[in-house]
Amino acid sequence: MSQKTIGASLRSQGISRRGFLKFCAATASMLALPPAVIPQIAHALENAKRQSVIWLSFQECTGCTESLTRSHAPTLENLVFDLLSLDYHHTLQAASGDAAEHARELAMEANKGEYLLIVDGSIPTANKGYSTIAGISNIDMFHEVAKDAKAIVAVGTCAAYGGLPKAEPNPTGAVSVEDLITDKPVINVPGCPPIPMVITGIVAHFLTFNTLPELDSLKRPLSFYGQNIHDRCYRRPFYERAQFAETFDDEGAKKGWCLYKLGCKGPTTYNACATAKWNEGVSFPIEAGHGCIGCSEPDFWDAGSFYKALSVPLSGTAQAAGYAVAAGAAMGVAAGAMNMAKRNSARKTHETVSIDDLEREQS
Amino acid sequence: MSSASFERGYHAFKEQIDSSVAAYFQSCVSCGMCAEACLFYTETNNPEYTPIYKLEPLRKVWEQEYTLWGWLKSSIGLSRKLNDDDLKQWQHYIYDSCTLCGRCSMVCPVGNDIVSMIRKAREGMVAAGHAPEGQIGASKRAVTIGSPMGVKLPALQAQVRHIEKDTGLTIPFDTEGADYMVLLSSMEIMNFPEYLEAIARIMKQAGKTWTLSSQAFEATNSGIQIGSTDIARELVSRVVNAAESLKVKTVISPECGHAYTAIRWEGPNLMGRSFDFKVKHIVEVLDELRAQGLLKTEGFEEQRLTFHDPCQLVRRGGVVQQPRNLMNMISEDFVEMPDAGMMNWCCGGGGGAAAIEEAEELRTQAFMCKKNQLDEVKADALVTACANCRIVMEEGLEAYDMDIPILGLTELLAEHLVEEN
Repeated sequence: MSQKTIGASLRSQGISRRGFLKFCAATASMLALPPAVIPQIAHALENAKRQSVIWLSFQECTGCTESLTRSHAPTLENLVFDLLSLDYHHTLQAASGDAAEHARELAMEANKGEYLLIVDGSIPTANKGYSTIAGISNIDMFHEVAKDAKAIVAVGTCAAYGGLPKAEPNPTGAVSVEDLITDKPVINVPGCPPIPMVITGIVAHFLTFNTLPELDSLKRPLSFYGQNIHDRCYRRPFYERAQFAETFDDEGAKKGWCLYKLGCKGPTTYNACATAKWNEGVSFPIEAGHGCIGCSEPDFWDAGSFYKALSVPLSGTAQAAGYAVAAGAAMGVAAGAMNMAKRNSARKTHETVSIDDLEREQS
Repeated sequence: MSSASFERGYHAFKEQIDSSVAAYFQSCVSCGMCAEACLFYTETNNPEYTPIYKLEPLRKVWEQEYTLWGWLKSSIGLSRKLNDDDLKQWQHYIYDSCTLCGRCSMVCPVGNDIVSMIRKAREGMVAAGHAPEGQIGASKRAVTIGSPMGVKLPALQAQVRHIEKDTGLTIPFDTEGADYMVLLSSMEIMNFPEYLEAIARIMKQAGKTWTLSSQAFEATNSGIQIGSTDIARELVSRVVNAAESLKVKTVISPECGHAYTAIRWEGPNLMGRSFDFKVKHIVEVLDELRAQGLLKTEGFEEQRLTFHDPCQLVRRGGVVQQPRNLMNMISEDFVEMPDAGMMNWCCGGGGGAAAIEEAEELRTQAFMCKKNQLDEVKADALVTACANCRIVMEEGLEAYDMDIPILGLTELLAEHLVEEN
């Protein structure tokens, strides 16, 4: 399957050269590359063998895959499958059972050291039995496939940073890909889910240059995660004029004012939502009237209410304060339990009041 | 024989403090709006009658037993522990100056159900032996004799015979499977027998079956008023057992507000289960009969009438529109007093307060509130649907030399019933 070149594969499916070049141009602009590289992309992609990809899904909700299947950009949904040879993806592949696992083993064998491993979902470590595929625990399958992968792409916040499964109290001992891999390049494509164009864009970059894109400190591609939502938000002018929606149905909200006071996490969230947008560029959460929840940032579930206005960036101090709050809350829970025990024991030792008990004994 | 003691009272306070009480005390912002809602404060301007302040003993126990700061403060001697003298002093605030009317709970901006906490605080006062003498007596009579005023079955039977002779109607006792079981308050039996007569005539016209129970005819629950769950449960269980053994469909709470709260709202919680029958206030039943066309009246009162809303009916039961529908059936000149409906001012003697002799002066002072309302509407007569309100207001009107008759809504309707041949 992966023997045909991409160019041949595209032509056999009736995709025109013009359509293909449009895709290359879009890819170049998404990756913030100069137009001069478009022919290079085209040449590279046309002659490249389709990249073998093994996609492993662990503790996840399939939202990342759903996002991918809704990819747009120049007929990207078709192209992504023509750029790639998706050899294993247990939601999308037709094979099932032993045949599916066999396909994975074949791909690993045939493309040893060359295949790309894409992971969505976090990996449980507290107990191997928490999540298994074909009887193989997530962590065993991950190590087995990761061993001979050329690079690993962690798609979605769960794979990148642990995400929702890792949220306090993290009952499954969920960890991210990065937590388990030290000897291989890892690219994080966080988001809950990530923008589909980001997924395909990174793959295109990988195929064109055979290198990984430039990453930030959280191993996110700078081309997509280089700027925060707030700086690119179309509501930014209202923020500058201090025009804020105070509730979700007030005049300010109707006039499209800044959602900062309603808890928008745009100022501390790095992602491409405000520029690339969603659903074929139709809209993104803030445009739909809801603040950004910061889903592409580590531990966004544990960063307080989505509706609490940011007062300080989520930096070290905030984290320390967060721990202090958490400790306070834990003490509160403990005190509450003690109080309940005290009241329950008072109730257990209740002495029934009868009409003979209404007065004091005369002494 | 056991007896009341401070320790038992303190223990009871500890029992009563649950998560809602803790949340209420924690949320109180000391805004004082509850003071403005309480007629004992508005008519005296004495800040000690601020509803939340009446809860100081309960608050103290909460703070010292259930909060870290309170525990620290009391253990290093910064705050004094609650003692028996406190409770003795607070008897005046918790009983004499509170009718459990619930107006304070309605206005609290943070949603504290203040009156529910007074009700809970009374549990501690009872166990500590700091309940008013009048209410202790009423509770004893209720448990031993069956009625807080000491009315026994033969007294009721005598009244019944009297009514039967006057009207030629039968007043049934212990009829199994009746549509309604009618409860009475002692006050109706002794002071307002017209009520029972009115019920008999209205039921006849509506074609409904009804009955009294010889086992449980008294609706007043002294246990709720004094604030003892144990006594309240004993009293309510008599009614529940009687109603269930007679297999009646609905129990009618009489023209008495707190009796209605006792059996309708507190009853199932006291018994720990739901009932096999429905509980309705007589005004609710009458309005249902009206809506079904089973209550036919003729003629209108020409005098100017106004309606006093019993606190438990409007604020606990939400029964606001029903009495107005009924008033409009028989009144040409029905005027609403200021604050009518949900926020109507209390008569000043509910929740057992009327039984406290030593608080009579305060009650009279608080009645100024109702007097002002009445002065404004200049009504010829005052209608209500609670025998207790009626007695208290009659005393109040007398104290202020006001010549306004008070009528019960049920008997007023009965006077206008279409006569059948």
